[in-house]
This record gives sequence, C-alpha cells and structure tokens, in this order.
Amino acid sequence: MKPTRSQLEDILASLRDPGLRYADIRWTATHEQHVRVRNGEVETLSSTIDRAIGVRVLVGDGWGFAANSDTSEDSLRRTARRAVEVAAASNIASTQRVVLSDIEPHVATWASSFEIDPWSIPIEQKIEHLLASTDPMRGDDRIHQVSGDISCYRQEKIFASTAGSYIEQTTTEMGGGVEAVAIDGSEFQRRTYPNPFGGDFQAAGWEFIERLDLPRKALGVRDEALALLTAPKAPAGRTDLIIGSAQLALQVHESCGHPTELDRAMGLEISLAGGSFLQPSMLGNFRYGSEHVNIVGDATVPGSIGSFGFDDDGVPAQRFHLIEKGMFVGYLTGRDTAPAIGRKSNGTVRAETAARIPIIRMTNINLEPGTTPLADIIADTKRGIFVETNKSWSIDDLRLNFQFGCEVAYEIENGRLGRMLKNPLYTGNTPEFWRSCDAVADRASWQIWGLPNCGKGDPMQTMRVAHGAPAARFRDVEMG
Amino acid sequence: MRTNADSFAILESALNAANAAGASEADAVFESTDQNISRFANSNLHQNMSEVSAELTLRVIVDDAMGVASTTVFDAGEIARTAALAREAAKHSDALQNFSGLYRANEPLPEVRTFDDATAAIAPAAKARALREMFDRGSKFNIQFAGAYGTGASSIAVANSHGIRRYCTVTSSDATVIAIGANGSGYATALDRANVDVVTLGDEATFKATLCKDTIEDIEPGAYDVILEPPATAEVVDWMNLITLSGSAYDDGSSFFVNNIGKQVVGTNFTLADDALDPDFLPFPFDLEGLPKRRVALIERGIVRTPAVDKVYADRLGFAPTATCWNLGGTEHGSAFHLSIDGGDATREELIRSTKHGIWVTRFNYVNGLLEPKTALMTGTTRDGTFLIRDGEVVARLPNLRWTQSIVEAFSRIEGLTRERRRVATWYNHFGGTIAPVLKIGGWNFTGKQSAV
Repeated sequence: MKPTRSQLEDILASLRDPGLRYADIRWTATHEQHVRVRNGEVETLSSTIDRAIGVRVLVGDGWGFAANSDTSEDSLRRTARRAVEVAAASNIASTQRVVLSDIEPHVATWASSFEIDPWSIPIEQKIEHLLASTDPMRGDDRIHQVSGDISCYRQEKIFASTAGSYIEQTTTEMGGGVEAVAIDGSEFQRRTYPNPFGGDFQAAGWEFIERLDLPRKALGVRDEALALLTAPKAPAGRTDLIIGSAQLALQVHESCGHPTELDRAMGLEISLAGGSFLQPSMLGNFRYGSEHVNIVGDATVPGSIGSFGFDDDGVPAQRFHLIEKGMFVGYLTGRDTAPAIGRKSNGTVRAETAARIPIIRMTNINLEPGTTPLADIIADTKRGIFVETNKSWSIDDLRLNFQFGCEVAYEIENGRLGRMLKNPLYTGNTPEFWRSCDAVADRASWQIWGLPNCGKGDPMQTMRVAHGAPAARFRDVEMG
Repeated sequence: MRTNADSFAILESALNAANAAGASEADAVFESTDQNISRFANSNLHQNMSEVSAELTLRVIVDDAMGVASTTVFDAGEIARTAALAREAAKHSDALQNFSGLYRANEPLPEVRTFDDATAAIAPAAKARALREMFDRGSKFNIQFAGAYGTGASSIAVANSHGIRRYCTVTSSDATVIAIGANGSGYATALDRANVDVVTLGDEATFKATLCKDTIEDIEPGAYDVILEPPATAEVVDWMNLITLSGSAYDDGSSFFVNNIGKQVVGTNFTLADDALDPDFLPFPFDLEGLPKRRVALIERGIVRTPAVDKVYADRLGFAPTATCWNLGGTEHGSAFHLSIDGGDATREELIRSTKHGIWVTRFNYVNGLLEPKTALMTGTTRDGTFLIRDGEVVARLPNLRWTQSIVEAFSRIEGLTRERRRVATWYNHFGGTIAPVLKIGGWNFTGKQSAV
C-alpha cells in the first residue's frame, strides 16, 4: 500500500523521544522483469515486485533503522517505534558525536525519462528480439552457448523527513546484451556485447534496446569468441596499455569511485570490502593521476542509471570534481560524514530499497574526455596492447593493488592494431597507474556504462551506478 | 517470522491461484525473517538495523514449461496477480528438458536442531552492551574494532501441488571482527545457530593484530607454502559455487567438473561435500523444492562426483537430485549452501612447525574466480593478518599480498589439514555457509603486494 503524505508526516510527528534529533521515512516499490534466452530457448522469465518501508532515526548520538516489507499504516507505526528502540540501544555503544550537515527542506517530484515504457512491450516481443539476435550465432560446434538478456526495472520512492522534506521519485531503466561461449577441448572463451552480466543499462525505455542493435552486433560477438579459441595468450611483462571505454569504466569504478567514498575513507566500511588509501589529509594536496585525469561525480547526467533527483538524505543531485587535473580534490559524501572534512553533503547517500539503510554510493563517476581521437592515440603507440570488456576484477582492501582481466586484447605494433590476444591480465598500483596516463581520448570514444550490481554494505546492498569513460593510454603497465 | 499456520495459509492461497491460472503443477516458498545487524567501526556502533521481511515465490509448470514470480504482498488479489505473472512467464517459455515433474516422493525429513530461543529473543540493547565490552577491552591494547554482528530468526515454508508441505524455523548469529592496531590488523569470525560471543572474537582478533607487531618484513612475489585459515579457504570455495559446482556452470561447460565425473582431479586428501546434517555445522532439513537434505559428496577424496543441482537440472543433466535448490527458478540451478571440507589429523601448530619457509594467511580479500574457470584460476589479496613462517616459527608480519592461483592445482598440493574445523558465513547464503579446516598447501603463487602510496 502506498502511504499518503499526511500519513508519513503524522508518523514523523508522533516520534516523541526527547533525544530525537532527526528522522526520515522511505517507502519503495521496486518492479523488475528479466527475460533470458539461451541456445534458442527461453531460460528465465521472472517478475518480482518488492515493497518496503524504512524508518531511520537519530536519538542522541545513536542511529536506529528499522524496516518492514509490510507497508500498511499499522506496520509503519510499529516500524517507527522499533527504530527508536534500536537507536536507544545504539547509544550504549556509540562513542562518537554525530554531526549532520545542514539541509534545505525540499518538496518535489522527479522522474527519469523514457520514450517507450518497458512494460508496454509485450513479453513475446522481448523474447522474439532476443531469439532473433542470438539464433544466428549458433551453428558452429564450438559455440557451446549463446544467450541474450533483457531487463526492465522501475522503482517508485517516497521520502519524508523531520527536516521538512517530502520527495517522490520514479526511476525507469532498461538493460540488455548478448553473449557467446566457445569451447574447444580445455579452451573456454566468453565474449559479450555490450558488457557482461546482462549487458548495458540506462535510465530509458525500450528505445534503449533498439539502440543497442543486438541483432546486428551478435554475429561479431560469436566470431570473436571463436577467434579467441585459437588466439595467442596476451604476453606477460611491462608494456604500454590502451584501455577501451567499457573496461576503463570499471577501472574508474574500482580504483576511483570506491576509494573516494568518504565513509570508506573514514573506516566505516572496513568490515566488508576494506578502506581507502585516499585519506582526508590528502584532500587537495595528493597527486592521484596525471594532468590528463579529470574525474567527476555527476548525479545529473540525463538517461543514466546513476542519476536521480535527490539522494536518500533528501539532498539534491549534484556535479563535482573528485580528481581535477590529476589532483585529489573531492569525496562522495553524505550528511553524517561531510562535516568530518568541513564540507556539506554532496548528495550521494542511497539505499537499494527502503528496507536498507542509506549509505554513500557512487552516482555517475565519470572520467572526462580528452581532446585526442582514439585512432591518433593508437597511431602514436609504437608497441603496446589494447584491451576491452571486463572479465575479472580484484582490488586490495585499500584500493591500491588491482588486477583486471579482459575478454579480448589486440597487439599494437608501430601504431596499428594487430593480432587478437586472449586472456589479458593487467595489474598495478592505483596512483602509479593513473599517473602513467598520458592520453585520454576525445568524446567520440566516451560512453556512459550502467552497472546495476555494485555491492556494498552489510546486509549487502546492490546499487545501480554508472561510469562515463573514453579510451585512454597508460605507459609501462604490468601485464600477466 | 511467521507461524506454521500463517505460512501454509499463504502457500495454499498461492497454489490455489496457480491452479486457477491453469498450472499443471506448482510449488511455492514463503520465507519470513526478523534480522538485526549492528555494524561498528572505529570502536563505535554506527549502523544499527532491524528488519522484518517476508516474501512469497511461486513457480508454475504449464505444458512442462516453467514460470516464476514473487511478491511481498499476500492478499488474495496480489497472490492471484503473482500467479498470473508466473503463468504468463511459463506460457512464453520452452518445455524443460527431460523434466519428470516437481518433487512428489515426500520422504521423511531428517531431524535436526535449527532454532535457539535465546537467540531469537535477544534485544538490541544486549548486543550493544556486548559490543561496548569489546570496545573497552580493545582500548587497553590501543585496538580499534570494526565489523558486524548479526542475529536473526526465520521461518521457511515450502509447499507444492503434489502435497509436499515443509516448515522450519531457524535462528542464526554471525559476527566478523577486525582489530586494528598501530602496525596491523587481525580478524576473527564466527557463525552459529546460537548467539555468538563477540567479546571472545574481539580477543582473538586482537591477538592477530598484535602478533609480531614490531617485526615487519617484506617478501618478493613467488611460490610459497601457505597455511590458510578457514575464512581464506571459504572465500575460494564460495567462488567454486559460482564457477564450478552449480548446475548452470556444468551445463554451460565452464566448470572443471565437465568430462571429469568419476575422475581424480585434485588430491586424495580433499573432500568437499554439501552437508546440512552435520550437527557441528548449520543443520537444515530440506531445500526449497522440498527435498530432504542429505550429505552429498561433490569431490570425494579428490574424485569429482556431482555438481549441486536443483531438480530441474538434475533431470536435464541426468544427475541424481542433490537437494540443493535455494532459489526457485534461479539461473544457477543449484548451489551448495552447506559447503563442508573434511578435516585431517593435524593441528594448526603442527602445520606451522612443519613449514620451512611459508606464509600464514588469515583471510583473503576480493577474490575473483572468473579468470579461467576451466582450471578455477582465481586472484585475490590477503588481509588482516599475513605472517611469515621461517623454520617452523611465525617470525614477522608481511604486507598484504596478491595471488593468482589455479585452485585445481592448489587442491592437488594439500600437504595437511587440521582436525578442528570452523564455520564461516557467506554474504549470499543465510541458510548455511562453509565449514573448513586449516589447510597447508604447497607452492601457492603470490604475484604482487600492496605497496605504499
């Protein structure tokens, strides 16, 4: 049941604990539909609707959060009382003062845009589109599996707070992609378009699936999977590396997005995926990358799944630099962390649904394009490797030492792309790596990539974020 | 947590709705959970959460094709709408290969103890007091703690159109504690049906954080003998669930089990089972298709036996059912949620004493198993306590190290296992986890290290 504004404001007003400093209530209804075809058959066709309420209160210096999948008014009142009880308990083991940055009250509605509602497209059409894309990929005995995915997502959210805000938001998203698995003996190769794990995602409607042009791209995916079976292995050793847009987006995610989360830098996420080498004392005086490296957090990019109107603190979406001409200048912050660095929240606190506590999450963390065409960067590279499309990712608990594997690589010899190479791995130290960046390609190769599966928090929250990136060149990188 | 009667009333409504929608068979799962998680960092309780949730998942079979839908609202109208969505999904799906129908044998369930009243009733204030005691103890050693401490109680009910009715209540508690000192960190974890002792975990993590705190050495990448604590091994076998053990990994050809059933693939001293009946682990009586749990050897004394499959993929692939469905209609088609590695006859101290030059690893960080799944080539780093062993003694702390290692090869070089085993939780699995001994493995391939900024 969708609560009314007066119900939520009435419940907020009923919270009477004398130590209450702040409270908010969220309600979400999350609709998801997933269609997957595999080897000419519909393998998955699932539909879920998740509804939840969450109440967050700050009593003294103790936070309390309670949630329930029962969204009735009676449940809302019980959940609010439970949040106050939990906050009271927190004060027993709370040892630090909670300071919230100032906020203006907002009464607003916001919705992402789309041309063709994902749910207006019949299931038959989605299946036919995927079968038409993937069936032509079959036929070679070495192609063990072809598959295609289409996903639809819509979240309706209401936020009300004791700061006087009442905000309704709706996000509609679509994603899709295709994959080919080729096997020959013990050789196993997977190639995807436009990205693995369900493809690419945008805040859009069916028109995004049409723009992906899966039927036309699929045969190239098959051909590359087959070619990888017999391609030589990417060599180990140090070399110049050009990273394509899709892979560089994940590099930004792991080695810039996560380490610039202020809660991580303050040690608040150590228990799960670790901390950050980017400490507050380095803000404004640490050279993270070369002068070519400009990375922004921008929750206002139209059509991206990292965009929104307001975060789950009720702070408006913003654009700001994290890395400016290579210098570390900013963090992703929330109301309860920004004061630690003397700043106001820049609006990056979100939760997967109302059943989860809001924490700092990436928005659209984008590497800004440079001025050189990618072709000119390749032409300017005497000897090196070009890699594209992520296959594996791993980074240490301070976001320093990383290793990435890609689906495909190509030799670069005397300024020209040469042989295809399989199983490329590259590794490095985050600031050394970004300082070695000597060319960032122009907007022609820049693309924003939706990642709907960023994990953080406990219980684990899967957040929808995005990264814009062009291709870029890095000198003297360790491969293998 | 809902009662038996409440749960089955919802499930009956779902099965009736499926029948009315034209399903020839149907099954449904209703799960309700009361979960409380306290997260702490810098010896401060900063996130304290309480969640009550319930979800119904309905699967229908129409003309041997399957459709699945789920909801968190349980009135008659919403359940009918959910059944219609599942029916619509089945209508557009292809017939399941070799499908022999939903489970109907209705064998008796094993009797296992799954519920602890005291854990279900624990109040947020009691947990906060335990954390405060741990924080105060750590401050005497200049230790700051970070981690999470969870308790929960759930009811799980399964029903299908062949008369299968299963219901179980279960409690769980788990904690991870990281102790952070001036020169390093330590880690301890516990998982139980009863409330875990977070103060004792704090002491254990403090020991690791202060061990060799004034002796820090460096080491060059290369192959070293390793002593792996259970949390490290658990992260590796968790990844095997995804890339090796599941029905889908077998079917898509990526698992090294393919063409190796019945063959010796790793060392004879390695046995990996799905075992929800072991009273020392986390007992649970049935899977979500209603099949009684039993011990299933996945790798037995080095010989590959079977992937973990749901009934749909047991039929499709020609394996005996393994009672390992934890997601109706899920794309993994089976997961081993009670991963049990047999112990050996050594002690941890004996394994360390037998090591001339090696590395003692407390846990791994950010393992990824997608590099080359056919050999289970994985990468990751160490964290929260990596120690140098020289001439059988732990002599120094080491920086966090990166490794890249084929797990097939590593499990062929196990040189010793402890008799004692410990339980480790996994984030994606609240039914079970992993129970593992300490392993000594020869020639683990370290490829880099965490260097300073």
